[in-house]
Amino acid sequence: MSLDTSKVVLSPLYRSRIDKLHADKLEINNIKMKVFDHLDFDDWGFVYFPDYRFEPIIEDPSGKVFGYRAICKNFRKYLEEIPQYVNPASALGGAWIGQLTDTCPIHIPDEDNVPADVRECWHKYHTYPGFTGMNHTAGDINIGLELGWGGILQKLRKYRALNDPQDPAFYDGEEDLVLGIQAWVRRIARHAREMAERESDPDTAKNLSEIADMNEWLVDNPPRTFREACQFLAHFQSVDRMYYVGGALDQLDEKLRPYYERDTQAGILTDEQAVWCIASLFFNDTHYSQIAGLTPDGSRDMTSRMSFIVLDAMHAIKIPVNIAIRVSDKLNETLLRRSLEYTIEDGTGVDYSCNIGIEQGYTRNGYPEGLARQRIKVGCNWCCICGHEYPLQDVTRANMGFALYWALQDIRKESERSTERLFELFCKHVGIIVDSIKIGYDRHYEIMGRDRPEVVYNLFMHGPIERGLNCSEGGVDILNFNIDGIALATCADSFAAIEQRIEQEGRITWDQLFEVLDRNYEGFEDIRLMMKNIKRFGSPDSPAEKWALRIRDCFVDACRHEGTPKHHLTIIPGLFSHGAIGEYGSRLPATPNGRRNFEPISHSNEPDPGFAQGLNTFSPSLKANAVAIAQPGFGNSAPLHLDIDVDMVRKEGGIEALMALIHTHNHRGGTLINLNCLTKEILLEAHADPSTHPDLLVRVTGYSAFFASLSKDYRQQIVDRFLSKTQS
Amino acid sequence: MEQGSVFNIQRFSVHDGPGIRTTVFFKGCSLRCIWCHNPESISRQGVLEFNPDACIGCLACVSVCPTGAHRSDESHGHVLDRSKCVACFKCVDTCYAGALRSVGETVDEDYVMRQILSDKDYYDASSGGVTFSGGECMTQPDFLLALLKKCKEAGIHTAVDTAGNVPQSAFEAVLPYTDLFLYDVKAADSRLHRELTGAGNELILSNLRFLSDAGARIIVRIPFVPSRNGSEIPHIAEILRDFSIEKIELLPYHRLGLSKYESMGLDNLCRDEPIPSDEETEQAVSILRSFGLNAHKS
Repeated sequence: MSLDTSKVVLSPLYRSRIDKLHADKLEINNIKMKVFDHLDFDDWGFVYFPDYRFEPIIEDPSGKVFGYRAICKNFRKYLEEIPQYVNPASALGGAWIGQLTDTCPIHIPDEDNVPADVRECWHKYHTYPGFTGMNHTAGDINIGLELGWGGILQKLRKYRALNDPQDPAFYDGEEDLVLGIQAWVRRIARHAREMAERESDPDTAKNLSEIADMNEWLVDNPPRTFREACQFLAHFQSVDRMYYVGGALDQLDEKLRPYYERDTQAGILTDEQAVWCIASLFFNDTHYSQIAGLTPDGSRDMTSRMSFIVLDAMHAIKIPVNIAIRVSDKLNETLLRRSLEYTIEDGTGVDYSCNIGIEQGYTRNGYPEGLARQRIKVGCNWCCICGHEYPLQDVTRANMGFALYWALQDIRKESERSTERLFELFCKHVGIIVDSIKIGYDRHYEIMGRDRPEVVYNLFMHGPIERGLNCSEGGVDILNFNIDGIALATCADSFAAIEQRIEQEGRITWDQLFEVLDRNYEGFEDIRLMMKNIKRFGSPDSPAEKWALRIRDCFVDACRHEGTPKHHLTIIPGLFSHGAIGEYGSRLPATPNGRRNFEPISHSNEPDPGFAQGLNTFSPSLKANAVAIAQPGFGNSAPLHLDIDVDMVRKEGGIEALMALIHTHNHRGGTLINLNCLTKEILLEAHADPSTHPDLLVRVTGYSAFFASLSKDYRQQIVDRFLSKTQS
Repeated sequence: MEQGSVFNIQRFSVHDGPGIRTTVFFKGCSLRCIWCHNPESISRQGVLEFNPDACIGCLACVSVCPTGAHRSDESHGHVLDRSKCVACFKCVDTCYAGALRSVGETVDEDYVMRQILSDKDYYDASSGGVTFSGGECMTQPDFLLALLKKCKEAGIHTAVDTAGNVPQSAFEAVLPYTDLFLYDVKAADSRLHRELTGAGNELILSNLRFLSDAGARIIVRIPFVPSRNGSEIPHIAEILRDFSIEKIELLPYHRLGLSKYESMGLDNLCRDEPIPSDEETEQAVSILRSFGLNAHKS
């Protein structure tokens, strides 16, 4: 049977409901911005209730909350008392209203911290160590869909009885959480029922009654229908967000496909209702999920009618959504084309997770291809084998800018100076940073289960309940720990500038360099520009590319040459900076690439904006080539951000060019593409006055957001990326 | 090894032929179109470009200029007297701010091929290739021919973007290695053509005839500046319908080149030229189509 790829046509009823959700999202966002000023992360779907205050239960004399029992007792109380929210235009009930972890002092006990010298090392290098990092793993959502909350509770009780642990804290805590979730779902049902009774519009009243019925059923039972499955996912993602803002969903099209096929065949679901349900799920939260992609054996692409419905829902509601298309040579080209049409129309849309770099890279850690193909994007840049792996990505930042800074401090004390010697010292400091993170990870492995367990994900993974162990300590079979290096281009351009201006051209001396760096280039603008305006990383034939690759190799080797010192945990290197390059540069003094004190560092493994000069002007492929060649290479992604002028791709052949760009980046070993199609005029207007374009969507890094929700620094980053060809 | 003068290598070009292309812009042109948006391409020699906004006032250029073309003026800051400039470009080497720039570099065919080949995957994935443009790439025939041959050896699709005002022998040489000609036609009336471009159109039309008869793939491109050549559209159509032409692209005038004139100290006769409206452009396209031509707005 041929795949139905047609666009879903919405009738006035569903069009108006989805439009109402869009309008309500803008209004909710507006309220949040008045309180929080900006949100530099995903446009989380929480609904803000300013009058609600949570009073945590604190029993430990330290004033801290830690451990399964204490955390889940608080979590259950939170779930039992938070205000309810049901949107009458939505297919689904419930919302999260904020993080438990913002109002409950969940901290590890002092005695479980790392030694002071390790903390000092982290401070010295402005390291984000990942120690005690949370939520960067993903569950297998099928576990919940098959069991429901009641089934999960029974499973907990079954394994408590089977294992009969001496210390049943795991089961006590997790049971408390599930009981809290069930109480919360029951309250959603009651709230919807009350709203239905008060509602005068018959269509809306019917909808609210259906929401009440669904939630009543789902208190104890697994979902039976497509809509109930979506409601269950909304429960999951709301609860997940409440606890350390977990954000990983799963392969959305494949997990919902059986329900969709069953219901459409039974005549109880239409495509427009399916679009409405998915749009309502997106309204509920921006959890990360994927569509399409290869089957584990690699024999076919999994694109289905559900994949198109997910895209249509994203396009219909036009709010921040985090869907990735898993790109492979077998990807359905109509799906790819449709996604690009929507991106051009909406400004942003899905991002593109590249199978070759991710899969082949992951196999280099010793895993078979069939397993690697199941490792999918469930975070802004990171991947996980849902339910089977604890990958802990995106929580560390090894700031190589500080490795360079301390290497410069070392070499200025030496009489023989050269870039080679500087690189030796740089590598030494990179090693110190990486080793200190590894020490932290050993401690993380030891204490997180007893102090700050992943109480939500544990329920959706293969192993934790069966073993009574937190996923971070062997609850799941596959444990990997990630370290992300940052400031690659900042360092590469610095080495290249020293090599060219000091060693090759003799335009300044090492001592003069130290002087201008000490003075933050003040009074030496000509020297700053001289150091900056070299052939930077990303330029064809640039010496800086050689340095970028050497730095990448030095970092990867520091991560890979051995695991953690105590427990020999595997480290997978990445090169990802999230959007926080301003924060990561905020303590870093001036660097030899012309960067002044405390200015932002470079982004992930990308060239700096304005890198292309002279004969070879900026182009998306020039940037893509640089990102592809400097991948860390072990299956963790280093994303490519492209902000393309929509005028370039709207014309004939534009979409085909983007399709070719995506496939070529995949073939060159790239791992992730984040794409915006914007116009300069709209972007600059929105930057100057965000209120002029409240619904302008952009992809910041691997996540999308309302442009107006971002802080000025984050908005500036996107403007700089877009205008990079005109920068000097 | 052949060498040539180019001023830009633009990757991921999607409007100069099919697919994703690298467009290599040659320096030197045999026409002087009054609307030219690449004025830096006209002279074969390097051109000094000065961007006062980027100048930091270090005046390093003043100290190295052998003719006193650069000077410091109390009221105007850094002043460039182009009448004294001998295009030695010593100032460019001292200008770390990038305010002074030499537009155009002499490069060899290996350098250009390295740039071209670095994006070959993109051409293969999109049925794209390379476009040689300018300026007028046909004014450097030996360099162009060498590059075309190397592209064909590498299996890369080639396009030549030309205004056609060169001897026919140049076309005879490149024809076997060129998959597509993007061929400018600017006016039907030769007297007007001379007024607008500095040359009559007899040679241009004769070369177009040669290519058409030789079975070359041709896309004709018509720069559309309504007040200058708007009335010529029906006459151009009348001429073109006798040729074997795959497609006609109408290129509406734009102002993206205006700042270049300023930075190079050149006058621009089309400074105040309005941008054609969509209606004007569509009407011109309709006229071309009414002659049976496969015309589109670019």
